[in-house]
Amino acid sequence: MQVKRREMGGSKQDDLAHRILRDIKASSDLGLLRCVQCGMCASTCPAARHSDYDPRVVIKRVLDDDETILEDDDIWNCFYCYNCHSICPVGNSVCEVNQILRQMAIDKDTGKKQIESFMSFADSYIDEGLGIIPKEYHGQLHKDYGKHWGNLQENLEEVRESLELEDMHLYPEAKDEVGKTLEAIGFKKKVEEIKKVRDNYE
Amino acid sequence: MNEVNKFIPTKDITLFRSCLVSAEYPGTEASTKYVFDKLGIEYVIDRNQSCCTGLGHYYDIFDELSTTALAARNFAHAIKNDHKQYVPMCATCYAILKNAALTLNTKDDVREEINESFRENGLEDLVYHKDDIDPVNNITHVVDILYALRDQLPKYKKRDLSGIKIATHHGCHYCKVHYNDTQGGVRDPEIVDQICEAMGLETIGWYDHKKLTCGCGFRQRYANRELSLETSKDKLESLYNEDADLLLVICPNCHLQFDRYEKVIQDETKHEKYMPVLNIAQFVALYMGADPYKTIGIQTHTVNVEPLLDKLGIEYEGVDDLHE
Repeated sequence: MQVKRREMGGSKQDDLAHRILRDIKASSDLGLLRCVQCGMCASTCPAARHSDYDPRVVIKRVLDDDETILEDDDIWNCFYCYNCHSICPVGNSVCEVNQILRQMAIDKDTGKKQIESFMSFADSYIDEGLGIIPKEYHGQLHKDYGKHWGNLQENLEEVRESLELEDMHLYPEAKDEVGKTLEAIGFKKKVEEIKKVRDNYE
Repeated sequence: MNEVNKFIPTKDITLFRSCLVSAEYPGTEASTKYVFDKLGIEYVIDRNQSCCTGLGHYYDIFDELSTTALAARNFAHAIKNDHKQYVPMCATCYAILKNAALTLNTKDDVREEINESFRENGLEDLVYHKDDIDPVNNITHVVDILYALRDQLPKYKKRDLSGIKIATHHGCHYCKVHYNDTQGGVRDPEIVDQICEAMGLETIGWYDHKKLTCGCGFRQRYANRELSLETSKDKLESLYNEDADLLLVICPNCHLQFDRYEKVIQDETKHEKYMPVLNIAQFVALYMGADPYKTIGIQTHTVNVEPLLDKLGIEYEGVDDLHE
């Protein structure tokens, strides 16, 4: 195994590992540089059990400053179940690193392609302040879940009323405020950029 | 097992609504309210509250900054409403909110960037001040409260739920994300088992794959269906080997994965085991005498719950128009 020497401390390095450590998503005590490649993460990982994804290798490639990992489809197999995160003996979290790698990939077109089929979630959030099961997948879900689920979708309001629950939707002024928040923080712009990539491929 | 030192609220609570509870298993919300009312817990529901972004966050659509800004907005409303004890019904809402509060308190540059975006856009009321919300003591899952008050549950017992084999599944984002704040164990999670024990009910305890994810994997369920179902199959086969009659969950996403895909997986594996799925709040509500349709909301479950009620000798009346 070839591990590149890395300067410790002080100056801000620009290799992949240090960019991950500086990412907004990274926990302040993320033990990435302490990884000893013990493989505990891989031993409990459901994605490793059933696919070519290997969390130990993900960290090795990050520590080797191997940028090609951003193009690798395998990083999209992580379940975000946090098994690796909760058992790592040195306080590393492949799950967290993976989330950062995917965001880095999304900054490039390769990552945008991976999430374009989930964009109806973003639209629902922008309009309603609520999350939904992505509409892009409803065809398969109707097949899998059967007629009962279709009935539930059609009669949800009545079901909720029979359970004496309040309206699940936000107040109109709250929806408005959510929209302004998303505009202010730059989310809407990002959604447009992702859709542009999608449209280019259609 | 070490007890976790965190404040468990019984008042000033905003019951934090979950998208999947609202649209898929609304009986979880009605049951939580039923149980909280019995226990004398003071809470509100606030229609100013937006979704935590959790599903979108883990579909990688919502970046950390956007998720945290929306959490800051929600926190501002909870504080303004004098009910800043956030109590989610969903494990992912729980983890997302805790993470956002931690980020807002400890990453000054992130907090400032979000606050500046609020100030520049006429949203001054949403500005977050460091330590407005304590991620450990102001954000607790419903299961934390049921666990803390478990010894009171027998006072409200109306139904005998003994005589069935109960298995528990604990929800990755409750147990493993902020693992220092997890009650009832992380590597061998037992919080739901101990709630059952307090109600005088035995569970099967440990089983192979007990701490394994339900298999939803967020994007995997949709974009990588086979990978997702392979993982759920590991879990279900282990539960079938234990001959479990009922699976208890604490998260609507796990609920959906097990309940909606049980038949899909059984069609493939040719298993014929019947195993309905209930949220722990639904199960406690059943114990306390709640109506299966009007409160527990079993009509929204794919796997019929009625055969379990029959086995328990529980009578039910009402029409289920959804299963035809």
